[in-house]
Amino acid sequence: MQVESLARVEGRGALHLTVDDGRVTDLRLEIYEPPRFFEGFLRGRGAAELSDLVARICGICPVAYQMCALQAVERAFEVTLHPELRALRRLYACGEWLESHLLHLLFLAAPDYLGLDDAIALARVHPAELERGLRLRALGHRLVEILGGRSTHPVGTCIGGFTRLPRRRELRELAGELAAALPEAEALLRFLAALPLPRRPRELELVALRHPGEYPMNEGRIVSSSGLDLDAAEFDAAFVESQVRHSTALHCRRREGGGSYLVGPLARVALNAGHLPPGAAAALASLAPRLPAPDPGASLLARGIEVMAALEEARRIAATVDPPAEPAAAWAPRAAAAHAAVEAPRGLLYMRVETDAQGLLQQVRIVPPTSQNQARIEDDLRELAPELLALPAEAAQRACEMAIRCYDPCISCSSHFLRLTVERRGAR
Amino acid sequence: MSLRVIGLGSPHGDDAIGLAVARRLAREGLPPQVELRTCERPGVDLLDALAGAGAAVLVDAVRSGSTPGRVEEIDPLALREGAGLSSHGLGVAEALALGRVLRRLPAWLRVVGIEIATTRGDGLTPPVAAAVGPACERVRALVAAWRSEQAPGPG
Repeated sequence: MQVESLARVEGRGALHLTVDDGRVTDLRLEIYEPPRFFEGFLRGRGAAELSDLVARICGICPVAYQMCALQAVERAFEVTLHPELRALRRLYACGEWLESHLLHLLFLAAPDYLGLDDAIALARVHPAELERGLRLRALGHRLVEILGGRSTHPVGTCIGGFTRLPRRRELRELAGELAAALPEAEALLRFLAALPLPRRPRELELVALRHPGEYPMNEGRIVSSSGLDLDAAEFDAAFVESQVRHSTALHCRRREGGGSYLVGPLARVALNAGHLPPGAAAALASLAPRLPAPDPGASLLARGIEVMAALEEARRIAATVDPPAEPAAAWAPRAAAAHAAVEAPRGLLYMRVETDAQGLLQQVRIVPPTSQNQARIEDDLRELAPELLALPAEAAQRACEMAIRCYDPCISCSSHFLRLTVERRGAR
Repeated sequence: MSLRVIGLGSPHGDDAIGLAVARRLAREGLPPQVELRTCERPGVDLLDALAGAGAAVLVDAVRSGSTPGRVEEIDPLALREGAGLSSHGLGVAEALALGRVLRRLPAWLRVVGIEIATTRGDGLTPPVAAAVGPACERVRALVAAWRSEQAPGPG
């Protein structure tokens, strides 16, 4: 069986299944976007250019790449951020979470659960939900715009802070709009909770950042459901990246035991429930019976809870932050190596940078969330396969796509639409 | 009542043509009721860019198999879904279809398409670069048509 392409994911990919006498003997999520050689061409560039360059890796989550790159360079150059600038960077991240989560929830994922082909069909049935999603997303868009200078491939950040800061008044006005949007986020979550989501609880290792005082976005230690607790600098002690022949994206696995693991909203919510802002925490409590164990099928709900969290956090910051006179701290280059990890909308993003005394990049390593989730997605599909094989071809493809979309994969980020090929050998 | 001109595109090869046309129009100036914007992720963002506009002209790269550099007005209703160049799961055609269902499209909407050769490389290929001027003229002609429609009729 050969099916043309997986729609509604970022980038190009294919899924190959080999079935021998009704048993899955091979399963490969192939990512055939051409490799992009980002890590190669960054070598020799100035560290100050890094955040604008990595922002080009992804059109959906450029802010996360900027935040991670800047923090790695700031660690290398020993730059300390003004606390208000740190708060503004969190506000900036909130904007991107809103944009990315809402795009995924309503435009890419929700149509699946109603048996609809796409967001256009969804708009015919549930126009009010789509309108609400567009309004909420526009708020995220504006946050990214006022802090990043523009909403696509933003350029407003630099080592030590921002190139320019929004005015206090602008932020306070926005705080009012963000507060007014909270009931809309609650309504969105009610809509999501009413969708017929599949129930497929899994034994899986969850990995996310954890911060002592807040829900993790730009900062924290790497923790896991199996008890990991590491600084970003120790990433390699716990995780290993390897090349697989069928994909231009590297696969990530746990060093100990070689198992796959899950990053993203579901992992973050489970590992950081205690730090959710009040509205999101209450929403989680009301959905607790639906989330007894990690269930990738319920990732929509985790994303919906995070929409609330991002709105609440954005409102709090916009209402209280006091932009300092200087938009950025002064810095001087140093020869050093440093690591950083942030929570991109799709999950943990890790970078390591090495600079020379002139501040030129000697080496940059980037481990995006989708390459970390890739092995997990394959495991999930393998567990799903017996069920899939019982379905007619079209339904099987749809089920695969839905299972993959639960991870909100950003294939263009990780490499470096999906084709499903099922090779059936022997008797059926 | 104002008109919004939106240049759509990405930095990839000829796909930047819509942005180049917007830049040229910005440099040369447009009548006062005309607002100029660009949109680099013409999926859902296009709906944001259109929000509140009563009239709009979109300028975008197209690939129809015709001669690169050819400037043509496209019927927004005739855009085929899936025909967009965006890899982001939702292209211009889908965004417009969605906008239509949600009744978010301007009552007066025109699309100027410029046939392109490639979405690879840095910068426009010569035939497409040569189309910036004619595409700007086409936009100006549409702006003039819109203004004359807005002008109070005789009597």
